[in-house]
Amino acid sequence: MGPLMEARELRKSFGRREVLMGVSFSVMPGTLVGIAGENGSGKTTLLRILAGELRPDSGDVFRQGALGYCPQTAVLNETLTVDQHLDFFRAAYNTGNPQSGDEFLEMLGYERYRGERVHSLSGGTKQKLNLTLALMHRPKLLLLDEPYQGFDWETYLRFWDLVSALRGQGCAILIISHLFFEQTRFDVLYRLQDGRLRIRGTTDTPSEKSFAGKEP
Amino acid sequence: MPASLWSRYLTATRYALAEQVRNRTALFLLVIFVPTWDYLFRLVIPDDPVSFLFRATNAMIRVSGLDLSLLTAGLYAITLIVGFMLFASTRKNTLFDRRLVLCGYPQSLLILAKLTALVAVAIAVSFYTSLVILAFWQPASLPLVWLGFLCSALGYGAFGLLIGSLVRGELEGFFLIIMISLIDTSLQNPIGNPVANEIFLRWFPSYSPMQFVVAGAFNREIPWLYVLYSLAWPLVFAFLGFSIFSWKTHVWRYQKTPPIPMANGSPAEHDG
Repeated sequence: MGPLMEARELRKSFGRREVLMGVSFSVMPGTLVGIAGENGSGKTTLLRILAGELRPDSGDVFRQGALGYCPQTAVLNETLTVDQHLDFFRAAYNTGNPQSGDEFLEMLGYERYRGERVHSLSGGTKQKLNLTLALMHRPKLLLLDEPYQGFDWETYLRFWDLVSALRGQGCAILIISHLFFEQTRFDVLYRLQDGRLRIRGTTDTPSEKSFAGKEP
Repeated sequence: MPASLWSRYLTATRYALAEQVRNRTALFLLVIFVPTWDYLFRLVIPDDPVSFLFRATNAMIRVSGLDLSLLTAGLYAITLIVGFMLFASTRKNTLFDRRLVLCGYPQSLLILAKLTALVAVAIAVSFYTSLVILAFWQPASLPLVWLGFLCSALGYGAFGLLIGSLVRGELEGFFLIIMISLIDTSLQNPIGNPVANEIFLRWFPSYSPMQFVVAGAFNREIPWLYVLYSLAWPLVFAFLGFSIFSWKTHVWRYQKTPPIPMANGSPAEHDG
């Protein structure tokens, strides 16, 4: 099976500032890919291009399968409740499953807030909902921008359990973060620096894993 | 089973309306500000007759300055409140709406839902404002006054939507709506503005609603054409607002597979 996503020579500038200067990589089914980089290195710009929120100045993206995208800042509606968010996004994904998303409330430990409006939720709970909205339709490819920001330790561990479960189901996951504590969890780890993507040393051969994929 | 377009439209409309109903500041303004505003007008404006250029017959008519000011006060309150409601909801939710589109919500359904909420808000606020006038004065035809108010509410609701999709800052948007509404509505009132009968005023958004409201309130010949004129502004504002909304919530869709597979091996550079 081919890659779920492929980026080719992506370039993006904001005014005179070149943020991406030819970024190419691919993501295979069932792999966990990390992209690290300093603040302002263009990680979020890259992820927004991959998700389809931004258009690159040049280069191509090829993507297949359902996409889940979790933006860095929780993009929610402050006046709606958790349940209403799930209802609204069920209509967006249109999967026809009236219960989709419910399991993640339990898994991430915030089902007791389902009737609460977002404006009264803590930052961590908002982030859990932000993540749930990206996962609830069981995507084949997940793009996560600093997904565990604001999580407590227990939720952080649950997050990784969830990631393992999703990978086991063949879901490819791309996480970007300014730092990674547990690099061994990743099949391949990149570093975005000076507008280019470089492969960080991992325990295995990153290029082979990156493109040959990992059997789920 | 996937939901129908109709059901998805209803879902989006339900939440667009819920958002408006939960705007407590707007509800407070509506319940407190509108009657207080009318009451203060009643206290301070003298009941002297004033001349008003009624375009339907192209003649100057003499009407009560106080009653005319109550109508202007109603228009002013409506433009501010409806403009504020639509501005606040549009500005706050642009990123959320884009996320919905990214997740597959058809842009057109979200636009239709917002349009429905706009019309619903305009109907409710203009109806309430018309009723409040009854506490101070009995216009000749309340339904016609309401219709005029409704046209004004639609115009400023669409204007709020346009400003909400254009302006990033909350304060800048509010000031724009307040200043434009102030200039527009106060210039229509011959008491506040001695040149209120000047010809250039016909190009202002509140001009046609004011003509229609006066006809209804003072039992004059009904200028039905002015209802159509009144709808020109909301149509223009809504068209511009939704065009910007579409652009801001646009999502780039990519091809599934490349025409030529990438060569095996990493195109990224090794770093250690």
